Amino acid sequence: MDTLHQIISPDFLLRNSLYTSVLIGLACPLVGVFLVMRRLVFMGVALPQISSTGVAIALSLPLWMGVKLDHHASQSVHTLAFAGSMVFSLGAILILAVLERRGRGQPEGRLGTAYVVASALSILLLAKNPYGEIGWLDMLKGEVITISNFDLTLTAAALALVVATLGLFHKELLLVSFDREMALTLHKRVVFWDVLLYVLIGLTVSMAVLSVGPLIAFGFLLIPALTAHAVARTMHGFTILASLIGGATAFLGFCIAYGLDVPVGPTDVVLLGLLYAIVWGAARFMRKCAAP
Amino acid sequence: MLSRDKKAMNDTLITLDNLGIGYEAHAVFAGISLAISRGSFTAILGANGSGKSTLLKTVLGLIPPVAGRIHVGPANAAAPTFGYVPQSTRFDPIYLLSGFDVALMGVYGRVRPWRMVPHSERAYTTECLRAAGAEPFAHKRFAELSGGQKQRVLIARALATRPDVLVLDEPTAGVDRETTRAVLEFISQIHQERKITVLLVTHDFASVRQHAEQVIWLYEGTVFHGETHELLSAERMAKIFEMGIG
Repeated sequence: MDTLHQIISPDFLLRNSLYTSVLIGLACPLVGVFLVMRRLVFMGVALPQISSTGVAIALSLPLWMGVKLDHHASQSVHTLAFAGSMVFSLGAILILAVLERRGRGQPEGRLGTAYVVASALSILLLAKNPYGEIGWLDMLKGEVITISNFDLTLTAAALALVVATLGLFHKELLLVSFDREMALTLHKRVVFWDVLLYVLIGLTVSMAVLSVGPLIAFGFLLIPALTAHAVARTMHGFTILASLIGGATAFLGFCIAYGLDVPVGPTDVVLLGLLYAIVWGAARFMRKCAAP
Repeated sequence: MLSRDKKAMNDTLITLDNLGIGYEAHAVFAGISLAISRGSFTAILGANGSGKSTLLKTVLGLIPPVAGRIHVGPANAAAPTFGYVPQSTRFDPIYLLSGFDVALMGVYGRVRPWRMVPHSERAYTTECLRAAGAEPFAHKRFAELSGGQKQRVLIARALATRPDVLVLDEPTAGVDRETTRAVLEFISQIHQERKITVLLVTHDFASVRQHAEQVIWLYEGTVFHGETHELLSAERMAKIFEMGIG
């Protein structure tokens, strides 16, 4: 109770980390719902990792080019990292989606390889990079500690943009996901709506990876959506419930991690996993009881 | 004579001009030339894998023609609206959509992207569901409906587009005999009442004889086109089958 009192106090030292975690928890499941419905769950696993490789490569660029970045210019480092993250996640999602649509090769094999190579590459690049020492390796481990006001504002603005766009164009995004052929016969610009969805997914993944790291980004992208799907009856219920599960778990996970002095990321993800197992089991039990 | 030709041109809604159909430049059929009249009921017949659905999707613009051209609608007129009824088995059950949600998609073509669906369009969707006999189960999960119920919802969705052409891809596939009869009766009824052009893909000769006015029959690499009673007469069919065997 004392921990909770400390956390919700406006003077709480790590309040930016808390706000960012909750924002990511609320926003990630909204795009995660589309990943689950389009059966792109493996992409949800690989994307945050590929995005973090983008961060690592972007931070290595100055080193490779012999340019020295001012260690105190955190905003320029952040912008560089954001650019790397965005380019890699957007590039990866577009390439993987095109390959998936053409139905060539083994999609699971491609995504698995992309995931494992991206993970290894990120660690290798950051281990040999002086900017890696300023918190990026911690971020990869899922430790949400230092989040500046600038980072928080940027995250909030980007996520607000994602939520507003999803809300405004929900029916088009749903139509092209559910029945692409119908959308074409209605003269909808299917490629435009697909690309818009991928941009939103890419932006959300980039913001999440930059703010809280790939582990939490992955957790919040998929597990709340999978949990909500087990109990929701309508698309609106599914979307809202997934977002609420993400937001509530982010808050609870932060409280537990702070109280026990453990990293926030793994705590959130374990909590999400537990919740998923409980809800899935309960939903299955209820269905069995309801069956004649 | 000139005015009769002009009338015939105006009555022609879809013209296939030396059309080749297939996937990725690999032609399944080539040299298809025929015309479909406005307000007609045309059946596309053929065995499984004969290219019926490929032809339908090419006409709808879902896959590009391998060769030739398709003219849709009279020149200098707005393109007709297609009300497409795909096979109900191809939808992913992961979507938590009710029958009403699915049918409502039919009006999306008239609602601007950032706008909510207006009340009048929702009411029209309910009307279409009622007309298709799908209202009693419209609020159940689409994925949990029976094959026949799904088809009725998809027909309601096609009607909600306010179509000039109703295009149905094997609407009775996987549906029992009684429901098949009811669905085809209903399609025939709306064709007559609303004067909608119907393009129906099926392999059910009996229902085609009963409802369709003209037939496009894809058989052994050849496209036969004609009036139903003429093309599906015992003598003509015997000749066609002999050609296939020969």
